[in-house]
Amino acid sequence: MKLVELVVASGKGGVGKSTISGSLAALLARKGFKLVAADSDAEEPNLHIVLGIDRWDRIEEYYEGRIAYILQDKCTKCNICAEVCPFGAVEVTDGNYRINEYVCEGCVTCSLACPAKAIRYRFGIVAGHIMFAERTKYGFPLVSGESVPGRPNSGKLVTEVKNRAKAILGSEGVLLLDAAAGIGCQVISSLTGAQFALLVIEPTKASLSDLKRIHKLTKHFMMAPMLVINKYDINPEMIDKIEEYAKEENIPIAGKIPFDESVPNSINMGKLVVEAFPDSPASRELKRIADFIAEEVLSNWRAWYSKYRPKKHEPYIPVIIRPQRG
Amino acid sequence: MSTTRIAIPTEKGGLDDLVYDRLGRAPTFTVVEVDLETGEIKSVEVVKNPGAEAGSGAGAKVAQAIADAKASVYVGPSPGPNAYAALQYLGVKVFTVVGVKVKDAIKDVIKELKS
Repeated sequence: MKLVELVVASGKGGVGKSTISGSLAALLARKGFKLVAADSDAEEPNLHIVLGIDRWDRIEEYYEGRIAYILQDKCTKCNICAEVCPFGAVEVTDGNYRINEYVCEGCVTCSLACPAKAIRYRFGIVAGHIMFAERTKYGFPLVSGESVPGRPNSGKLVTEVKNRAKAILGSEGVLLLDAAAGIGCQVISSLTGAQFALLVIEPTKASLSDLKRIHKLTKHFMMAPMLVINKYDINPEMIDKIEEYAKEENIPIAGKIPFDESVPNSINMGKLVVEAFPDSPASRELKRIADFIAEEVLSNWRAWYSKYRPKKHEPYIPVIIRPQRG
Repeated sequence: MSTTRIAIPTEKGGLDDLVYDRLGRAPTFTVVEVDLETGEIKSVEVVKNPGAEAGSGAGAKVAQAIADAKASVYVGPSPGPNAYAALQYLGVKVFTVVGVKVKDAIKDVIKELKS
């Protein structure tokens, strides 16, 4: 079937991406799909919690970025670096110039400005970790990433997590990604190269608004979207609006999960709801969604993809400030 | 005879490499210089992608590198929003293609550019 990438995304946080990702991964693996799950939310990774992993088989350090330092024997104490540093990272103690490594962002302004060429960089800053569980109790591997507080919101870390997951998967199978909330660098990195987006929405105005933003981004990347409405029965008025949007935009609705106390209860037990309460209303709907993905989407994914991907490229172009030409 | 330079994201680079599935953090890009009239390939160059090492802002870096390599055409996966905007600003034509070899992508895009 070749390598198929399915990204679970939502725009808004807290709508159930990880819970749904975990259950769908387990259900698809149970159906016999060769699957690797990847947590591509490096700021708040928690797919491993949903999957009941309390110990990683392997943890790799992830390096990124640079921090400036001043060669004391070359420094002429001209104070230019302190004047130009946008972060105020240059400190003077006893007449000596030093760079506070906790404040430095590695932006190279100081080294460009330094007339004495006294500024060097230290690379290989630990900016995060990539974690591996070779086999979750549901049978498939999980790759996850976490960033170190204060280090950049890193699309590259997500790219590395994806590349590791793809290396485990090989040339065919399903890569299921649990994306971060929002439409930022990490989310873009999750979407790049993927064919399918499973968009999770809850029936609130905020969730619909954020969904439209992430959907616009999936159109940019020519992805075929599908929609899951979580806790659909808590706010019936919003359902019409959501369905209207889905119809206008040709987004198939993969399922509607009812509000069900067995979901939070299962999370507290450290189990997936489909494992802890397999006959609960939410689990039954999750199984229907997994059937839909397996039978309708993945069984002939090329046909499904060409049917539901945007017919023409709709680029999501940010406003750019054009430099003055002079 | 004027030629056109086409940039394609790749892993190792070269005509037999596959078009990489992402632009911003592709390890390299391959710049192929072609004569549009005859379809003849004049030169092939592999350039390291500075975006591959970027934590963020990979799109803008790779767009700049493509322009620095004097490419006027980009062929590859859909660039991200920042890369797309930068390529447009730099006047680089964008064609999307995935899952094919560089040499086949070049053939296709020559057809497109001539039509």
